[in-house]
Amino acid sequence: MTEVALQHYLGVGAILFVIGLIGFMTRRNLIVMFLCTELMFQGVAINLIAFGAYNGNLAGQAFTIFVLVIAAAEASLALGLVVLLFRQKNTLDADAWREMKG
Amino acid sequence: MLNPVMLLALCVIAGIGTAIALPSRMELSMRRIGGVILLASGVMLVAWLASVMKSGMGGYFWVFAIIAVVSAVRVITHERPVYSALYFVLTVLASAGLFILLSAEFMAAALVLIYAGAILITYVFVIMLAAQTTPGDKPLVGVAEYDAVSRERVIASAVGFALAGVMLFVIFDKASAKTGIESRPAAVAGGQMATGDLGAYLFTHQALALELAGLILTLAMVGAIIIARRQVVGGIVNENEPVEQVNSIATPVDDNPHSIPVYGTANPRAKAYPQT
Repeated sequence: MTEVALQHYLGVGAILFVIGLIGFMTRRNLIVMFLCTELMFQGVAINLIAFGAYNGNLAGQAFTIFVLVIAAAEASLALGLVVLLFRQKNTLDADAWREMKG
Repeated sequence: MLNPVMLLALCVIAGIGTAIALPSRMELSMRRIGGVILLASGVMLVAWLASVMKSGMGGYFWVFAIIAVVSAVRVITHERPVYSALYFVLTVLASAGLFILLSAEFMAAALVLIYAGAILITYVFVIMLAAQTTPGDKPLVGVAEYDAVSRERVIASAVGFALAGVMLFVIFDKASAKTGIESRPAAVAGGQMATGDLGAYLFTHQALALELAGLILTLAMVGAIIIARRQVVGGIVNENEPVEQVNSIATPVDDNPHSIPVYGTANPRAKAYPQT
């Protein structure tokens, strides 16, 4: 069994990022939109870990820890905001907040 | 070494499949056909990569990668948010497997604990809190309209897979020119980068950033509590009765020193969630 090249991990990360991007653009449910940002975080984390492993240092893993920290902070704040928005309009539809666009 | 036309064709096929598979007013069987198209393009990409790149036949990598990508597609194509969240757990577990293959055991454990454990539980709680029962057609009973119909499917798929095509082409065509990162260093592949080394690295080279990360987490926690405790004035629930908004200085709710005052209410001594 030959070894997996770095490119394959980068490819998986890129595909996960793109899928999250498409989901963020298309879905209208606020919660699913934030799930899709988490999907994009996953792709970036796989990229960072793969680069760190193939470069032979720990910087990739350390960076991924900070990505996880930001993801956790973002999730808690975003879900608090989603609950607040839901209590105001009684819907999770992102289009319900159309009047906010400039 | 890599034919860009082939890659472009694959990305176009995958984009068409995604546009069909995303939630819309289309028939469920049509959307399944879109999923099959997407799956076929994925299989073709895998087979093509396996034939072009002579390396990369590690079985576990393919298993984890396919699970991750397929469940990621299900996250964005499933119309029920709870199922999206559960498929996201599957993606997280599969990428934790990829992390273990990259000898990042601590990060794999942290990913499962933080994502699958903490963040996803929060998501599922919020989904259940904000659950609505809406009448729907036969296959989609209880699915809200904004979940069942997504917006701008075609344009989003085109943009996304154009980006995917460019990134995959750069990754697989240009990056192979740089030798030296083709194979992993022997020390890494042999598992020399242990969790202890990661801890030592974090607390020697990244100590300040680590403290800042803790500060950010604390700030996020305090901010989330303040956001979630705020009283909603003028929402749909009490739209009929006029509500005057008084932004007075909040006074303590009661004698309990741990209770948080509520801002922006007519009665500053009101509790955020009265026991009614």
